[in-house]
Amino acid sequence: MKLITAIIKPFKLDDIKSALQAYGITGMTVSEASGFGRQRGHTEVYRGAEYTVDLVPKVRLEVLVDSQEAEAVIDLIVKAASTGSIGDGKVWSTPVDQVVRVRTGERGSDAI
Amino acid sequence: MGTRERRERSDEADRALAAAFSSLVTTLHKSESSISLAAVGGYGRGELAPGSDLDLLIVHDGSLGTEKLSEFVNAFLYPLWSGPRLIDHSVRTRSETRETAQADIKVAMGLLDIRFIAGNADLLEGVSNDAQEDWRRNFNKNFPALVKSVQERAARSGELAFLLEPDLKESRGGLRDINAIRAISRVGLVPVALERLASAEALLANVRDALHTVTRRNRDQLLLTEQDKVARELEIVDADVLMLEVAKAARAVDYVMDLTIHRIENTKKKSLFRKKSNLAISEGIEVENEEVSLISGSGAFSDPTFGLRAAAAAAQRGLPLSVDACLELAQNFQPLNNPWPRQAREDLVSLLGAGAAMIRVWEALDQEGIIEKWIPEWSHVRFLPQRNVLHRHTVDRHMLETAVRATHLLRTVHRPDLLLVAAAFHDIGKGFVDLDHSEYGEILIKPLALRMGFPEIDADTLALLVRHHLLLSSVATRRDLDDPQTIASVTSLVNDPATLELLHALSIADGEATGRTAWSDWKARLVADLVKRCLSAMSGFTPPAQMQLTPEQELRCQEGVLWTNITKQENTYEIEIISPDQVGLLAMVAGVLSISRMDVRSARTRSHGDFAVMKWIISLDVNAEPPTNPKLQELLKRAFTGDIDLSSHIDERIRNYRKFPGIPVAPPIARASNDFATNATVLEVRMHDRPGVLYAVAKAVTRFGVDIRAAIVATLGAEAFDTLYLTDLSGNALSEERTVLLANQVENLLLTQ
Repeated sequence: MKLITAIIKPFKLDDIKSALQAYGITGMTVSEASGFGRQRGHTEVYRGAEYTVDLVPKVRLEVLVDSQEAEAVIDLIVKAASTGSIGDGKVWSTPVDQVVRVRTGERGSDAI
Repeated sequence: MGTRERRERSDEADRALAAAFSSLVTTLHKSESSISLAAVGGYGRGELAPGSDLDLLIVHDGSLGTEKLSEFVNAFLYPLWSGPRLIDHSVRTRSETRETAQADIKVAMGLLDIRFIAGNADLLEGVSNDAQEDWRRNFNKNFPALVKSVQERAARSGELAFLLEPDLKESRGGLRDINAIRAISRVGLVPVALERLASAEALLANVRDALHTVTRRNRDQLLLTEQDKVARELEIVDADVLMLEVAKAARAVDYVMDLTIHRIENTKKKSLFRKKSNLAISEGIEVENEEVSLISGSGAFSDPTFGLRAAAAAAQRGLPLSVDACLELAQNFQPLNNPWPRQAREDLVSLLGAGAAMIRVWEALDQEGIIEKWIPEWSHVRFLPQRNVLHRHTVDRHMLETAVRATHLLRTVHRPDLLLVAAAFHDIGKGFVDLDHSEYGEILIKPLALRMGFPEIDADTLALLVRHHLLLSSVATRRDLDDPQTIASVTSLVNDPATLELLHALSIADGEATGRTAWSDWKARLVADLVKRCLSAMSGFTPPAQMQLTPEQELRCQEGVLWTNITKQENTYEIEIISPDQVGLLAMVAGVLSISRMDVRSARTRSHGDFAVMKWIISLDVNAEPPTNPKLQELLKRAFTGDIDLSSHIDERIRNYRKFPGIPVAPPIARASNDFATNATVLEVRMHDRPGVLYAVAKAVTRFGVDIRAAIVATLGAEAFDTLYLTDLSGNALSEERTVLLANQVENLLLTQ
């Protein structure tokens, strides 16, 4: 199993949600996040001289999937999140040892 | 579900406990003379909800010895602990009970409902008599602690009438408050309107019973997820109707609590022969014993704007409007004309702009139905629940909370009055099935704004703000801010910076009032980014236009003498002054008006050659005499020649003003820019209004060595907004450096005054 984490532009959330639902993914965790990558936040010239580097608001999306589905889901997210401009975000996956559904006690793939 | 069932549960518990207690007494001691069992609190009243604890008191006469007593208590309680109900017990002698009650008001109140279950009845009667007698005797001493506990509970658990997930027991207006009122009524010090509580108590108790039944737990918080089930259990149509009924019941409890506390405090004040500290603050209105009351028999009652004036006066001083004042206003209610007079509108804005102090005043008026009479649209949103996990409050309270949050943002907008009114009514369209609340709100707000006396253009702005109050949040989080189309979609709806800044402030206030789940720093940053991008796509602000002179005014300027003309309007005076221009003229005239106890509502001034033309709208302070031309001219002449020390007179007026309590307000701000006018620097000052504001601003500007070419002064509710057109002595705009310096100096001066 894999945990896929995506940092995306906030307005892309609805597109990604629809794409994942169409693929058959039924659950995800979404949280508000802030950060910067190569984009370095907003760089502004303030009163002619000063520089400010802000953290940019992003959305963090987490999805648990079976290992064999991971690549397909990553591709799906990347496609839906892309605008082609700087600051589109990142997607990565991490291996997951165990998953348990709290209500039923199901484990592994059954709990996804 | 009802009193009978609660009684039956209590009786059933009594029978089981009495049997267990008596058999144990017989087994262990063969005598019931040294010990007895009693119920206290709600169980003591013989009312038991399905999940309630059993509050028990075991009273002994001290003759058993620690070991035997402990053996007995353990033998009695062990089987109960494994039973279906939680047990809350204490074991004391009569004197220990008395001491504990004296030290803890909660114990004292619980003992008022003590009821014998088994054992030695005489022993218990002694405890009961002590409790009643001590409660009465110590009431004066205990009363402040009782009031404090009521207030602390409200602060901790919120208000039952306005929370979407209230605690039926702990929230303000809940079951615990009913017990407190009943405890107060036992003293017989003041009449307590218990009859107003009967149906409220029955409803709240039934709802709690149903909640316990559906959750199978002893939980008193009515969560959104349980409300439908509870409504079904009680055979009420749906959760909305249930919550409306709960809110009404809570308001009744609230009202009786306020009235009772108020009556007791009044009795105490009278009995102490305290010197009354009455301070008149406006015609017919005075501050008496830390609350605003109305002077009986005052002619002001015939003035339809009196109620709003009193409400604004109370809220702006952070004081409550007395219960008697609300009753008197309801009894002597005079409908406002359509459209409202300017004074009424300004008082409404002052009331809304008073921050947290406004809510108490508003609620007091609402309890007497006065708000609905002024604003009939309010009826529909009163106590209106909203099934939305993001919200915490009913619709009416949410709008008031939004207005409170908006007071922190008043300096960020050019029209604080529109911000406050939009905040207080932005969800007025809620609660109509099948209608989008923003769209319907737009339809409702425009006629309301026109009735309040706002000009058409302002009513349109308010309609736009209500229609689009969710626009910025939804666009900022769901659309690509880098896309010019996104920005264009906002600027096509909101096309001027002044409206956009209002919408921005309204979004923040609305979000903050809704709760953490609806508004975070994350969202605030996205919205601010969107606003910044939209502003840069707009053309910029335009300051208010300078006054245009009439031919008559130009003619008078040629006459070369000081001329004044005073015209009485409804609640204000219009004063026109044409005077030879001189350095510091605006400060001097503003100073003369201030020491004559006239409060500047608005003004427009303009230099014309060697003359200045000024048009002032002023209202009179409660102690002021009506102005006359000869008196005003005499004062002006003396001020021009330096015969009056304006500063010390004004300082004295400010000192007198500060004798009244106030409310926390945002600090003043001053901004200056050369971008808005040709050959002039425009200085904008925004601050909370108080006597002598314009005098201080004009004096600071004069001291800076610049000419005031024109001034536009506005008072919007309790906010003063002054715009000055300035030039240096050679008639040009100031240098960039001096512009910044001037704004800083004026701001610092106003901050330190």
